[in-house]
Amino acid sequence: MNSNIQSIFDKENETIQMNFVPKMDIEQTNLNQIIPENLQRKDLPIPNVTEIEIVRHFINLSNKNYGVDTGIYPLGSCTMKYNPKINETIAKLSDFINIHPLQEENQGCLELLYHTSELLGEITGMDGFTLQPAAGAHGELVGLLIIKKFFENKRIKKQKIIIPDSAHGTNPASAKMAGFSIIELTSNEFGEVPLDQLEFALKEGDVAGIMLTNPNTLGIFDRQIKEITRLVHQYGGLCYYDGANLNPMLGICRPRDMGFDIVHLNLHKTFSTPHGGGGPGSGPIGVIEELIPYLPKPCLFSSEKGIMCNNNNDLSIGRIKAFWGNFGVIIRAYAYILALGAEGLKKVGEIAVLNANYLRVLLKEKYNLPFNRICQHEFILSDQGIPNEITTEDIAKRILDYGIYAPTIYFPLIVPGAMMIEPTETESKHSLDNFIEVMNKIYEEARTQPELLKEAPHNMPIKRLDAVTAARKPILHD
Amino acid sequence: MDFIPHDKETIKEMLEAIGVKSLKELFQDIPKDLIIDKLNLPSGLSEPDLLFQIKKISQKNKNYSSSFLGAGCYYHYIPSLIDFVISRSEFYTSYTPYQAEASQGYLQAMYEYQTIISQLTQMDVSNASMYDGSTALAEAAIMSTIITRKNSVILLKGIHPEYEEVVRTYCWGQNIRILSTDEEDLHTKVKNEIAAVLFQSPNFFGDIEDISKLIKNVREKAPNCLVIQVMTDPTCLGVLNPPGSTDIDIFVAEGQSFGLNPSFGGPGLGIFTTKQKFLRKIPGRLIGKTNEINGKNYGFILTLQAREQHIRRERASSNICTNQALCSLAALTYLLALGRNGLREVAIQNFQKAHYLKKELSKIKGYEILNRKPTYNEFIVKCPNIDALINFCKQNNLQPPLKLSKYYPEMGNIALVCVTEMNSKKSIDKFLELARSALNSKKEENLK
Repeated sequence: MNSNIQSIFDKENETIQMNFVPKMDIEQTNLNQIIPENLQRKDLPIPNVTEIEIVRHFINLSNKNYGVDTGIYPLGSCTMKYNPKINETIAKLSDFINIHPLQEENQGCLELLYHTSELLGEITGMDGFTLQPAAGAHGELVGLLIIKKFFENKRIKKQKIIIPDSAHGTNPASAKMAGFSIIELTSNEFGEVPLDQLEFALKEGDVAGIMLTNPNTLGIFDRQIKEITRLVHQYGGLCYYDGANLNPMLGICRPRDMGFDIVHLNLHKTFSTPHGGGGPGSGPIGVIEELIPYLPKPCLFSSEKGIMCNNNNDLSIGRIKAFWGNFGVIIRAYAYILALGAEGLKKVGEIAVLNANYLRVLLKEKYNLPFNRICQHEFILSDQGIPNEITTEDIAKRILDYGIYAPTIYFPLIVPGAMMIEPTETESKHSLDNFIEVMNKIYEEARTQPELLKEAPHNMPIKRLDAVTAARKPILHD
Repeated sequence: MDFIPHDKETIKEMLEAIGVKSLKELFQDIPKDLIIDKLNLPSGLSEPDLLFQIKKISQKNKNYSSSFLGAGCYYHYIPSLIDFVISRSEFYTSYTPYQAEASQGYLQAMYEYQTIISQLTQMDVSNASMYDGSTALAEAAIMSTIITRKNSVILLKGIHPEYEEVVRTYCWGQNIRILSTDEEDLHTKVKNEIAAVLFQSPNFFGDIEDISKLIKNVREKAPNCLVIQVMTDPTCLGVLNPPGSTDIDIFVAEGQSFGLNPSFGGPGLGIFTTKQKFLRKIPGRLIGKTNEINGKNYGFILTLQAREQHIRRERASSNICTNQALCSLAALTYLLALGRNGLREVAIQNFQKAHYLKKELSKIKGYEILNRKPTYNEFIVKCPNIDALINFCKQNNLQPPLKLSKYYPEMGNIALVCVTEMNSKKSIDKFLELARSALNSKKEENLK
């Protein structure tokens, strides 16, 4: 299969078809009279390619790509569950896709946004939501700006955010974008927040809040969660819940009840909207009542006249994106929640955890499991003890050879050689058993044919790429 | 309905394998009083009921047959081919291409997106996408402060008001100072302490700026101050000079016009481009071409990740992670489908059709075109009775233009009108007829 697909820019041909432009039906003025010649470009170097060439090009490219529809996608903390097809149909209804964000007759869109906020409020326990953020990290930024504004408004100077070392990299990056400095906590031997360190940091003062992922990136529910949020509140801080790992909590327990004040969700993880190869996503933010006035503009509310929009809130952090958020993504999440209902969502939480534990127990027979206890949606294996100095990367590449996508690797950073595995609730036992079989086979190969792993992948369109040269001498376009 | 594959027997079997007695036992780490009994939500729906229920909601929107509304979101023709390509589930159900070997198809497409955006804009480098035009502009402002180590930016009048608000929010987050000014007064504000001047062209009111002149004015006062351009409808680049032909430092745009439906304003596409020398300060993902370590093939890979949050954490150039990948695939497909001939023709038709309406409207007594510079597919017009015009449009199934008072209360009688290749002569003539009627309607009111 070692073959490159020719660049689309080499498929140029001198077609002058105008298939996609309506026939000009007005009398034309000399263009130079409309726009001075010196403002006009001399040439336009994008290619002319025929439709069939374009279609074949992308079909061939798609054949060299792996999605959830191809097979199990056990990428930890990414919740790669099945994306129901009905959601695609609904998101493409003409009375949604043709609606302009500034048109006045938009009750359908506003109602959908408002209802979605209410549903997410019930699921998380939060009092108010904004659906504006375009992705999880965007939501984090919004949440942190809310914290900043909250203290600014109260004229209390607080400039630090506490983040455990098990957090996603977006957490510290978002905190910095909101102007905070970061205090990092070292997770204890259970992967949980060290309470003594936490209290020490809080006592030092100047702490605006904590950002926590629970269950954390080790897949472990922090048993001291109530004590953590109580402590932060005691010292006047706010608690931020990173919702990247909300999936196993659906219908089981709610961030608000754990003591959180701000929550972000990833609709493209927990609520089944397709990840699209890295977006578009959606990262709604939910808050407790006291923080509602700080939500970004515009805010929706329900009135006798229908769903209305409030743009005049002095305490709001302001606008964080033009228009209304990634509406097309929100429709899909809305459809998903309505389809599943209360019982369906609870099943999601339960089965996501069942599937993860099933893999955990059966894989630990061969692989090192640094945290040997019940997990939630995901768990970590490491490459410690694998024969012949086989690394996590070798294993990941070999997994690809078996027609399976690899887990998240080398994350979280607190476990050397980590493999982070999250099967999600939509994988059947058959699919999980197949994954276990492949992993066991690879372990055997590590023992008997280590070269096979060190040179993997063998069955993919390409072998391992030279990432060092790629970064040293970047080639970013043809 | 749900999408859970196990029956009761399978669940029992799996619980046994794990060594627990019930599903409940799997949640033993959670304090008992945090476990909820049941969410207070309606029961699930079957597919037909779901479709029926949401369709009913969608029908509360009005879907116009023809539109004169733009202001940052545009109705252009979308070739069928685009939905076909982005509906390939190998693309849309994949994650960020961290495992390059299993993601070559998408990585190549993203690389081709970066290539076609570089060709179109003539800028040195394009990233793989940002959330939208507004956040791309805000991140550009932040990037300019990192490059210059200065802490103030200037916003020129004419930036989309919602974009300006987004820039203000982002800059407040990092304590970056914002100054506002117009072109006439720019020279008094530009100083060496300024990180960048941000402007939009064609601007919110439709004016196409003389960019070379603008850059010259800035450079004369402050040679190190960056100049950042934003654009909300880059189809105009089918005719207009590309930003890379000038000395623009960062060029960003909203890419919705390239094959994405309005969809109530999102998802869109943030196009982000800059000069080679600023490459290592650019936010967002970049796809690079490289060779196999031990082989003769080339391939594509996420590169320069040392700038990004998952490696650099709080020292990253931005927190962006998930972007708008599928929208960049749509934009690539759009630009390929149109090709150089098609894109030029789209731009010409937008110029010509808007010009036709502008010219004919200015002949009607009481209507005054306010633009003093050349315009693309949008312009502003002072109306004798703007409310009557808007009502008549609605009654005739035409999406009315934007009343500028939405953003500028003092501009109550000014409309921002947009005409694209999708407006037929018939619809434009109808608009003209309604404009005349609106005038008469005013007279009648005055007589009363």
